[in-house]
Amino acid sequence: MKFDRSEKPSISSKLIFKMPSYDKFVLKNNLDVYFIKKDALPIIKINIVIYAGSKFEQPGKKGISNLLTMCIDEGAGEFDSLQLSEQFDLLGVQFSVSGNNDTIQLTLQTLKENFGKAIELIGKILISPHFDEKDFKREKRKILTSLKQLKDDPDYLASTSFKSLLFGKSNPYSFPFLGLEKDINNIINEEVVSYYRNYILPNNSFIVIVGDISNKELKGSLDKYILRWKTGIFDAQFKSTDKSDEKVVYIVDKKDSVQTEIRTGHHAAKRNSEDYFPKHLLNTILGGQFSSRINLNLREKQGYTYGAGSSYNYYKDSAYFSVSTSVGIENSANALNEIFKELNKIRDGVTEEELKFAKSSIVRKFPLSFETNSQVASYFIGKVIYDLPDDYFDSYINNINSVTIEDVNKAAQDSILPELATTVLVGDKEKLIPQLEGKDFGKVEVINNF
Amino acid sequence: MKLLNISYEKYKLDNGLEVILHQNKNLPMVVVNIWYKVGSAQEVKGKTGIAHLFEHMMFQGSENVAKEMHFRYIQEAGGTLNGSTSFDRTNYYEKGPSNFLEVALWLESDRMGYLLPALDQDKLDNQKDVVYNERLERYDNQPYGLAWELLITNLYNKSHPYSWSTIGFADDIKNYTLADVKNFFRTYYAPNNATLVIAGDFKRDIAVSLVEKYFADIKNGQIVNPLKISNGKLTQNKIITHKDNVQLERIYLSWLSDKAYCKDDAALDILSDLLTGSKNSRLYKTLVFENEIAQDVTAFQFSGKYGGHFTIVATAKPDKSIDEIKSGIFNIISDLTKNGITSKELEKSKTGIKSSFVFSLQYLDSLADHLNSYNFYLNEPNSFSYDLERYNKVEEEDIIHVTDKYLSNPYIELRIVPKDNES
Repeated sequence: MKFDRSEKPSISSKLIFKMPSYDKFVLKNNLDVYFIKKDALPIIKINIVIYAGSKFEQPGKKGISNLLTMCIDEGAGEFDSLQLSEQFDLLGVQFSVSGNNDTIQLTLQTLKENFGKAIELIGKILISPHFDEKDFKREKRKILTSLKQLKDDPDYLASTSFKSLLFGKSNPYSFPFLGLEKDINNIINEEVVSYYRNYILPNNSFIVIVGDISNKELKGSLDKYILRWKTGIFDAQFKSTDKSDEKVVYIVDKKDSVQTEIRTGHHAAKRNSEDYFPKHLLNTILGGQFSSRINLNLREKQGYTYGAGSSYNYYKDSAYFSVSTSVGIENSANALNEIFKELNKIRDGVTEEELKFAKSSIVRKFPLSFETNSQVASYFIGKVIYDLPDDYFDSYINNINSVTIEDVNKAAQDSILPELATTVLVGDKEKLIPQLEGKDFGKVEVINNF
Repeated sequence: MKLLNISYEKYKLDNGLEVILHQNKNLPMVVVNIWYKVGSAQEVKGKTGIAHLFEHMMFQGSENVAKEMHFRYIQEAGGTLNGSTSFDRTNYYEKGPSNFLEVALWLESDRMGYLLPALDQDKLDNQKDVVYNERLERYDNQPYGLAWELLITNLYNKSHPYSWSTIGFADDIKNYTLADVKNFFRTYYAPNNATLVIAGDFKRDIAVSLVEKYFADIKNGQIVNPLKISNGKLTQNKIITHKDNVQLERIYLSWLSDKAYCKDDAALDILSDLLTGSKNSRLYKTLVFENEIAQDVTAFQFSGKYGGHFTIVATAKPDKSIDEIKSGIFNIISDLTKNGITSKELEKSKTGIKSSFVFSLQYLDSLADHLNSYNFYLNEPNSFSYDLERYNKVEEEDIIHVTDKYLSNPYIELRIVPKDNES
């Protein structure tokens, strides 16, 4: 069979993809329930999302919400810590508690046959956690040790120091979810219990369930095991004021590093702002995937790095743009120079071809986003947290396709701001300072002990 | 379990390319997954890491695909892609909407058949830099990042092909020549040394004719014979101390064990779960939960085609000694050998394994990779039930038996300690 190999096959057929539809209802205790039926496999995913993330912590108490996530499943109902863990093991259920600046999440994956028992256990954890002093002390020692360990982790150090310097100490988003060592030392068990009482409430939460279960069985189990979770009064006041951006390079000294971790960026508009779609396309062209400008330059052209990229990062009440990469220490200033070049260049505009490529990539990839129960759950969680419109998924492809090149170029002007970029370099200051001399990345400040 | 019975069709092209098709119409998507039966085990001394370098060179374009365009075509079609290298094999995979199948096959076939005309010194030099940075980022600059390399270089004898890591030694990465790379390609990247899996939503006859169209004209290569390996034994314990940029001391204990899918492999997997897989597991409960001498503890059975090892890793709490942890570990092992385990412990492990088999079926790319993996190791792609059955068959006595058989042998003890600590 002879054919011309140099000709790329065309993609002709249109895909038919139906968005999974969802059912929303409210339990009598004011818990919002989002249910997406997906019955290809006998699996159910449950996510309970609680607006109790670390941004609600008071000054001097940074680390309470993480301690809560560590302690809440250390015994509940008739089970102590080890017994409770064993109950999950006997069911083959995967259970975890996690958190971030905005929320705390209880996540569970179970086979269909064990759904009722799994919900019963999660109900006990929400309603009657033990918070034993002994468990609290052990978990506190564990997190203090983890924080000590993380001081060695260049990636963690770069991300947390960048956020801290970008947001500034008066903004709750500037603190890492894991907390601050000096604060954790002073936190006592009673404070965790009171944080639980104040925030872990059904009317401050929502639950997303994805999987193979009937509406009736779901409602039955939720009524039976979750209704006793009592509505309460909580203080949802939250204000975040963003520090104004300033062009500064911070060197976080890490002696003997063989690489430099680079983060640079600035504040951006919130997730539900109108120019989300132009910005999403813009970032896809700039640094969102392998074949974006930044990676092609820093990795494929210069060979400075294993990978480089950019992203708009969203919180419920704030957002920022950042570029991140790690490079051999001798190329730190060169790499930063190329990053700033790319940021400046994209402000001159993108090409029609680039936009077409980005649209094609995003639109065609869309159905793949709904492959697993976890993926579906996380998309719906995002929709709720960021308060996106009800037809968000149905109109998604249309919203991408209708963005014009003028929209993208305007987004570049408004939302790529190298002149206001905060830069963090985690690496050996002795080798970094000489490289930065005479360069225009902003004034240089050295932080010896972050 | 009926769910785990995965239907497939397997056949061979005249040039030796093995093809496995699995239809799954849950979503309008398709996965292409190719295994080349070459990994770091096929490398020679002085050129370690070249199999992994290939994972990079294969994305640098081929005769009909310009540099960078491989990624662009897949992403333009809405797909995602990657590759990975292990001791035994290198894989490449694309996942995308079902209408991207032809593009994926075109790209995979072009680099299988027509990579060399597009390969030049500039591309090689660029990717040597990228790989060198990958090594810095993922190994040298990571806390405890050199542990794996230190373990295997000491555990396996110098002539065993698992005695170096897939990333390759830093000096070797700098030394590959264009001729090395071309020879490696000619030897191992031939259709008769590869298996192509297509999984997902596609029409069977169209897939068969597309595979024929794009792959049939690629010439077969020489036959690659399996390696002949002499698995040595450790004759005595070996203690290695390595100083690193870390705050906490960490101890690794590693014993040579059984190969992938061989007699004791599954029991060793279960043993690792019994020791460290949950809060109630033996080592975790004692060292981390009750005595708090360790911050974390992990055990795992690594197994490949030519060898395997069982490893226990524990990080000391600040001011706790790894000697105390070490004796804790050995006490628990000896208790287990002496008094055995409970049927409840075994049941929990088996339940967890069964659930994770079902959970994993959600991921089409993992399913496709499993078909290739089972085909490679067991010569039967549909081995999900067989694999699960290996675990179900393990009995309490088997756990005692493998613990005694392997963990009473000489071992490698690696201690990673803080640089400023004069130990």
